[in-house]
Amino acid sequence: MWKVFSYLKAYRVAIGVALFLTLTELGVELLQPLIMAKIIDDGILKSDLSVIKYWGAVMFGLALVAFAAGIANSFFSAHVSQNYGFDIRRRVFEKVQSFSFVNFNKFPASSLITRMTNDVTQLQNTVFMSLRIMLRAPLLLAGGVIMSLIVNSKLALVLVVILPFLLFFLKWVLQTAGSMFRDVQDKLDGVNRVMRENLMGMRLIKAFLRRDFEKNRFEQASGELKEKTVSSLRLIEVSIPVLLFVMNIGILFILWFGSRQVSMGSIEVGEVVAIVNYSFRISSVLTIISFIIMAFSRAKASAQRIGEVLDTEIDLVESQDTDRSLKIVNGAVEFNKVSFHYPGSDVPVLKDLSFSVKPGETLAILGSTGSGKTSLFQLVPRLYDVTGGEVLVDGKNVMNYPIETLRKGIGVVPQEAVLFTGSISENIGWGKEGAASDEIISAAIDAQIHETVEKLPNQYDTRVGQRGVNLSGGQKQRLSIARALVRKPKILMLDDSTSALDLKTEGKLLKALRTYSCTTFIITQKISTAMEADHILLLDDGAVEAWGTHEELLNTSPLYVKIVQSQFGEEDFQHVKGFKQTSST
Amino acid sequence: MSKDSNRPHPHNHLFGKKVKPKNWASTIKRIGSYFSDQKFLLSLVLLMVIISSALSLLGPFLIGMAIDSYIVKENIEGLNKLLLGLIIVFVGQSLSTWLQNYWMIGIAQDTVLKMRNDLFNQFHRLSISFFDKRQHGELMSRVTNDIENVSSTLNSSFIQVFSSILTLVGTVGVMIYLSPILTLISLSIVPLMFFGLKWITKRTGARFKEQQRNLGEINGYIEEITSGQRIVKSFSQEKRVMEEFMTKNERLRESGYWAQTFSGFIPKLMNVLNNGSFALIAGIGGVLALNGKVSIGVIVIFVEYSRQFTRPLNDLANQFNTLLSAVAGAERVFEILDESQEEMDETDAAELSAVKGKVVFQDVSFSYEKDEKTVSGLNFSVKEGETVALVGPTGAGKTTIVNLLSRFYESDSGQILIDGHDIKKVKRSSLRSHMGFVLQDSFLFEGTILENIRYGRLNATDEEVVNAAKLANAHSFVQKLPKGYKTILNQEGSGISQGQKQLLSIARAILADPSLLILDEATSSIDTITEMKIQEALQRLMQGRTSFVIAHRLNTIQQADQILVLHDGGILEKGTHDELLKNKKFYHSLYHSQLKQDA
Repeated sequence: MWKVFSYLKAYRVAIGVALFLTLTELGVELLQPLIMAKIIDDGILKSDLSVIKYWGAVMFGLALVAFAAGIANSFFSAHVSQNYGFDIRRRVFEKVQSFSFVNFNKFPASSLITRMTNDVTQLQNTVFMSLRIMLRAPLLLAGGVIMSLIVNSKLALVLVVILPFLLFFLKWVLQTAGSMFRDVQDKLDGVNRVMRENLMGMRLIKAFLRRDFEKNRFEQASGELKEKTVSSLRLIEVSIPVLLFVMNIGILFILWFGSRQVSMGSIEVGEVVAIVNYSFRISSVLTIISFIIMAFSRAKASAQRIGEVLDTEIDLVESQDTDRSLKIVNGAVEFNKVSFHYPGSDVPVLKDLSFSVKPGETLAILGSTGSGKTSLFQLVPRLYDVTGGEVLVDGKNVMNYPIETLRKGIGVVPQEAVLFTGSISENIGWGKEGAASDEIISAAIDAQIHETVEKLPNQYDTRVGQRGVNLSGGQKQRLSIARALVRKPKILMLDDSTSALDLKTEGKLLKALRTYSCTTFIITQKISTAMEADHILLLDDGAVEAWGTHEELLNTSPLYVKIVQSQFGEEDFQHVKGFKQTSST
Repeated sequence: MSKDSNRPHPHNHLFGKKVKPKNWASTIKRIGSYFSDQKFLLSLVLLMVIISSALSLLGPFLIGMAIDSYIVKENIEGLNKLLLGLIIVFVGQSLSTWLQNYWMIGIAQDTVLKMRNDLFNQFHRLSISFFDKRQHGELMSRVTNDIENVSSTLNSSFIQVFSSILTLVGTVGVMIYLSPILTLISLSIVPLMFFGLKWITKRTGARFKEQQRNLGEINGYIEEITSGQRIVKSFSQEKRVMEEFMTKNERLRESGYWAQTFSGFIPKLMNVLNNGSFALIAGIGGVLALNGKVSIGVIVIFVEYSRQFTRPLNDLANQFNTLLSAVAGAERVFEILDESQEEMDETDAAELSAVKGKVVFQDVSFSYEKDEKTVSGLNFSVKEGETVALVGPTGAGKTTIVNLLSRFYESDSGQILIDGHDIKKVKRSSLRSHMGFVLQDSFLFEGTILENIRYGRLNATDEEVVNAAKLANAHSFVQKLPKGYKTILNQEGSGISQGQKQLLSIARAILADPSLLILDEATSSIDTITEMKIQEALQRLMQGRTSFVIAHRLNTIQQADQILVLHDGGILEKGTHDELLKNKKFYHSLYHSQLKQDA
């Protein structure tokens, strides 16, 4: 949490200036009554017009000075608070970009979003406010006490006794409210989460007519947020009447005690009046203080939440013996006794997996749903790290590659085609920095999407993603394939990315892929795709069930035969067998 | 992606220029309308404000009395009585202050809750096409960040404004009583103040709105990038993402900077005006006193009062600031609330009681974008209980047909009839209540597997859920999970594969037990052996109910009663598997490409 506040250090000078300007304003404010007194005493009472004119002008000048200071303060305070917010957002976003998927599991997306926007706004507002009024309160407080002590230390003792209690009380409020506002922010996450799920699942909700169900869910989340907000605000608001009451009772005590002293002749009535007046001022300052307390307790909660993100330990990092010069050159991939389970779970997903693929070869991976195909894919670009064994690229452990260069050499097409808000050419160009438009078009041609794009009203400038046109599932898949192709990867990994493509288009795509000089991993359900590959890896429950070419597997793997039969039926099965054998001769 | 050519913000060009005060006046009015059913509590709050204001004046007055009449005269007994009275006053003051805040917070947060829930409900009344053009995170920002702006204002503004006005009226009254001339001098700052406030609000209002918009933009970007982390990482595009983020971050800083700076001017402006009026009173008052027109005592008291006069003015001006930021937030909320609800059923829309399942498309055309026909002139009819397969290359319009049938989108022309009823004349909810869906993206909510399957029919027992899972072939893998049906699904790394998600959404549809079944690529990520197993269950499920099946693997649809081959938004061929094969046209070649790759 303190770390979050420490980012303010960068603005030391501006903060100093802002505080100095506040002091200037405060100074003018304090001088004003003195000048006023001077005008009355020396001017009006003595009927001296020149004194009135002179001090009137001084007062006016000072007012202008205060105004200038105040305006300048606005600039400096806004500068500090906005830059501070800007910095925090940058740091948090940067940190989140370095998160591994394990880290992501700790913070749901909805929560990360609130932390980066709403929590930062809270901090920002507190900083702005602090720079403008924070100094006032303690100074006025201290000033009031000191002045009363000067007037009469005996009577003022009452204040000296009361104030520490009040400050202690305020500290308690700050602590309690801090943790309550923490709950408020957490509940805000909850609202955000339901909202996000509803936006993502809108079609499903409409299809299943679950509006009322979701409405209840949302109203519960927003109701909880309301409850927490109400109770924390009410706690804060209790503090003002309490402070007021205690101070007022203190004043009564001063009056009572003062009157005794007056009757004993040890105190002047004027002194009592002065101290009572100072006490009134102090109580009006206390309301500002409780306002500050509120801002601080919110800021504390938000700083905590931001701090949690920043303090998260990244568990997927480059190892110490990373060889900076390493780069994928050929694209040979070897799995050596690889086992894997997801962090936080001990269910083994991959068990003792060994195989190797030479540069330029194509490996098809088959296996039942949940057999570990996608998990296997994730280990090559190090989206996750193996828990046993090693993955080698060009004979070197992937752990030894700098993560960025490793991933730069790999083109991944995930199962779900995710596009970002932006034009089609921007989305394809995502695969490669500074991709020229002809590179983008040629990738699109190979991904069999060029013709479709040409037909769109704005062609490659058509906007897609969350804010884009309607693309069919297959069109999205092909765009996401083009995005991988444009980087001319050494290793291309297609995770069942052709499932929504019709077979003709898929055929053309696979043909175009052959012109790329890269090692290709392709997860597929289709035998027709698999039989074109150099090797087929049949996974079953995380282990290698069979390995070989189509022909080999037809003879050696009963499971493979079963899969073939499931797709072609008995008579066609014979046909496939015959077809492939004749075509390969 | 940094180009924002078609942002959904119609007021773009207005920023930095004029913002019509009419806008925010009506927005404030509209926020006020949310209070309408809180009148009773609100009047209690007003009462408390009046009481606490009165008591806060009475306290010092009594203390003055205590000093003048008792302490000076050393009347201890009388003093003690008065002090006791003062204790009561102070208790009353604290109590009324506490109560007004206590109630006000309740009122304000109830209002915020209502606004938030209204917004949420509105989202559900909008058509799917509304969401096509919006970023999730941008919309989320309205539910959180924008409403928060309203919230923090409502908590304090009402009380502040009211008590300020109260004090103001009281003070001005006393001032006029003391000296009309000096009052006039004091009030001379009011027009200046008005002028200054106008100048500032012209700037802040627009800036605040811009800030909220930029906050929404950055919220949208963060949401999108966080959702697409897998791509960002796989392509190691962190730097690029960072750059784009920084552009948005800078934009937010810029607008925030000016909004905050300008809003900071308000109290300073008030200060200088106050100080100015101070000087004026002292100067002119001094001259008047020299001429004997005003007594010195009056000037002294007057200065005190003019200080009292400026404090509520100051407070009012400050409230103005927070009000503006609330308006900026509220406007973005109302923007959504004012979107036309395309989901409204026609007033005479009927309920569909029982659906037999006869479906007819008559000359149906539709386009998502204006210049681009997606489907046109669709004609086909489906008998009760038939299974229809939709086949064709990607983008041919298969999912569009499903979208039209379920009225996610409305056809531009032509009619769709179910059992002879035009579906446009049927309530959407009634229409969909007869349909069961397995959609292309098998979306699951964060929650347990049990809850997710139960989404198909909320009152299903655990047993029924498990049975549906068994039929969908999901039971076996669910059982292997350490927590079984209690496993919580979340977005990343729950260890559930895409195919398994599809199995769960099939189970969900099975549980719904609809009259009309729609399977859009329901098994695309499932391996073929598992698929075969589910196929049996699906076959059984489709028995006796009209079903629309979209699939690429043609062997899964061979048993269909009717196959529609779509191409470029029209029907190319229709018939059974055998008929189409005999035709030796598009379907024939599609089917055989499954066996041969064109090498």
